[in-house]
Amino acid sequence: MKVFSADRLEKLLDTVLKPSRYTGGEMNAVVKPFDQAEVTFAFCFPDSYEVGMSHLGIKILYDIINRQPWALCERSFMPWPDMADAMRREELPLFSIESRTPLDRFDIVGFTLQYEMSYTNVLEMLDLAGIPLYSRDRQDGPIIMAGGPCAYNPEPLAPFVDVFQIGDGEEMMVEAIACVRKCKKAGLSRLDTLRALAGIEGIYVPAFYQVSYNDDGTLADFYPVDDAAPAIVRKRIVRDLDSAAYPEAFVVPYTEAIHDRIVLEIMRGCTKGCRFCQAGMLYRPVRERSLETLLAQAEKLENATGYEEMSLSSLSSGDYTHLTELVCALTERYADRKISVSLPSMRIDSFVKQSLEEAQKVRKSGLTLAPEAGTQRMRDVINKGVTEEDLIRAVTDAFESGWSTVKLYFMIGLPTETDEDLQGIGNLARDVINAYFTVPRSVRAKGLRVTCSASTFVPKPFTPFQWQGQDELPTIKEKQARLGDILHQVKGVNFNWHEPELSMLEACFARGDRRMADVLYAAWKNGCRMDGWTEFLNYEGWMKAFQDCNVDPAFYANRVRGEKELLPWDFIDAGVTKAFLWREWQKAQRAEVTPDCRKGCQGCGLKRFEGVCVDR
Amino acid sequence: MKMLVVFEKKERLRHVGHLDLMRAMQRALRRSGVPIAFSQGFNPHLLVTFAAPLSVGMPGLREVMEVPLSAEISEEEFKEKLRAALPPELPCVAVRAVEDRHPAPMAQLFAAAYRVTVQENAAEILAAIPSLLEKESVMAMKRTKSGDKLTDIRPMIYEMKKVDGQRFDCVLALCEAATCKVELLMDALTAESKLETRPRYLAVRTQLLGKDFTPLELL
Ligand code: SF4
Repeated sequence: MKVFSADRLEKLLDTVLKPSRYTGGEMNAVVKPFDQAEVTFAFCFPDSYEVGMSHLGIKILYDIINRQPWALCERSFMPWPDMADAMRREELPLFSIESRTPLDRFDIVGFTLQYEMSYTNVLEMLDLAGIPLYSRDRQDGPIIMAGGPCAYNPEPLAPFVDVFQIGDGEEMMVEAIACVRKCKKAGLSRLDTLRALAGIEGIYVPAFYQVSYNDDGTLADFYPVDDAAPAIVRKRIVRDLDSAAYPEAFVVPYTEAIHDRIVLEIMRGCTKGCRFCQAGMLYRPVRERSLETLLAQAEKLENATGYEEMSLSSLSSGDYTHLTELVCALTERYADRKISVSLPSMRIDSFVKQSLEEAQKVRKSGLTLAPEAGTQRMRDVINKGVTEEDLIRAVTDAFESGWSTVKLYFMIGLPTETDEDLQGIGNLARDVINAYFTVPRSVRAKGLRVTCSASTFVPKPFTPFQWQGQDELPTIKEKQARLGDILHQVKGVNFNWHEPELSMLEACFARGDRRMADVLYAAWKNGCRMDGWTEFLNYEGWMKAFQDCNVDPAFYANRVRGEKELLPWDFIDAGVTKAFLWREWQKAQRAEVTPDCRKGCQGCGLKRFEGVCVDR
Repeated sequence: MKMLVVFEKKERLRHVGHLDLMRAMQRALRRSGVPIAFSQGFNPHLLVTFAAPLSVGMPGLREVMEVPLSAEISEEEFKEKLRAALPPELPCVAVRAVEDRHPAPMAQLFAAAYRVTVQENAAEILAAIPSLLEKESVMAMKRTKSGDKLTDIRPMIYEMKKVDGQRFDCVLALCEAATCKVELLMDALTAESKLETRPRYLAVRTQLLGKDFTPLELL
């Protein structure tokens, strides 16, 4: 067993990059006496400190757990590879930031799964902590939990994680740790503790389920084998977001996080119904926070953090009922304290010029727009309810208000895509540039910068595209090259794209089953980790893992699935029904749009959850 | 009015770099609610200056920063407010209100006192102190922006004495004209004690000093 030593850690810290990633001592970090807590929870973010500290979910749950007088929550992040190697060399176990306690001393080690390409980091962190990777090899030690959007298809991690939390965590987390506390007090076995946890709505304990396969490799059956486990696991929903717990203080890092600012979650969920968007389906229904609550939260957070920036967070901030009032109130209140207010994920169909002008009173950042596709037909397929006219009006407004940096996000490889759709991206970029030059020189800001970013479409569970296959790697590369050529002809546009290999791996995990766990383990054994970082992506390691496990990536990434196929995540009730998603998939192929359900219910299935979905 | 603030940067934060520390202090001042002055211009920021940046890896017991204020506030109130806004690892030790025309601490800086804990080969290093002090000149390789330069650091060592079997105290030059880092001194002691490589050590800056070796915050 690895033994922690503060002295050996200090020695290591003198030799690694950015040691303050590991040393804590930040403002608002919660330090409780470890041995007095009845339940101890290590909140693990399977990516670097800078990425993890930018994430809202960890702030919310860290606060909620620590609010319980009997519980303690500390943080741990994926060490940068130089630190990970040094820790392994020195046999120093992975520890929590606050009290420097090795993770294996906690009652619960919980991971948040924000993107598939952090899965190798989950294994790496467990291994660094000296915790056996497979659930079946753990007779004692911490219970391994996981939650977050990727938990909606938990199967690729099923053999490693004891307990998945599916859905909104605010209430479920408290129930889960209270349950562990009760079981601990009663002296229950590990198995009985897992049984008790499986009884909580939203919790999935993979060890209690059996899977069988057909000859063609598709799922034949998936069923519980323990009485404590429900056949269908229903996601948790926080009904009333306005009264849901929200931190009054954020931990303020010393080394700059990617997003280092106050975040106000103004709204959860989205009614637009974009067909590629997993978050839009998973976080349904839409729930808003009231203006009073948000202003009170802003005030508390500002006093507790001293941040110079506030951002509003939601999937579609422009749809928030009181957006203009909120932005005006915030800018007015904080102007003398020089705090800027930013609106990310602004959607062009709900662009509010007035709030734009308010937002830029203090500081001006680049404008980000996501038309996602280049032609109207393609945008109808993906149900992105945006017209070219909307987009041009939005950027013209922005240019008139003094913006000059515009980022446009697109996806390539969408279902039914043709060359015309790629051409459309070029045309749109050109129109944006022309829009800039139609604004009088005296009004517009100097230095136009337009960036087009093209990511590769990844079909995700619980979206209407969950049946669709991803383009094969050579096709993606061809399309990227073609788009590069097209945009090259548009003067003044920068073109960015994502690693297509990464998108392919992401597709395998997004819709993978338990057999992908073998590939994951093999890839980690081959040294894969930090896959989301271009400089660390080890594609050969992955390909070898697929080969050694005799798994064909195309089976998961590129295969089109049929209506009757049992999908690995079908046992989860994510709110939206399979029937609704299939209907949407059919409409997509006919390029038929479905209107925003604020204008009328589209029958997605959320109405089954009593009292959460109200038509306005 | 300006406030001179004496604060401690504890060992746990020794890896926090200068710029990160400045930002942390600015945020602490913002949340403290004391009346702070902002710079004019497009990207307004707080007008806080530190007397001397701490090297990465070094804690400081009595670091000094200067905070220009936008309104009057008593020393007690300022100290109380700032204390509440600082993390336990970065406490405010003392404050002193001075006139706007009071010279900047940075301009008055002359030297600094350090306590060095030698974590390996302590006996050899400590034994080399008397002989090093007897020398008229001590040449050491100073790394500067324009390359390595052989420098006589003897005139920059004002004081050096053993504390116990592992530690020694020293006072070294720290001003625009001449600066000797603890690292250089350790290099010299390493050479003097005939050790092959510089042993591990932890240096703590215990006090910033002005003319006549008066603590900077009292000048
Ligand atoms: S149930 Fe109807 S109103 Fe509610 S999210 Fe689904 S489609 Fe929209």
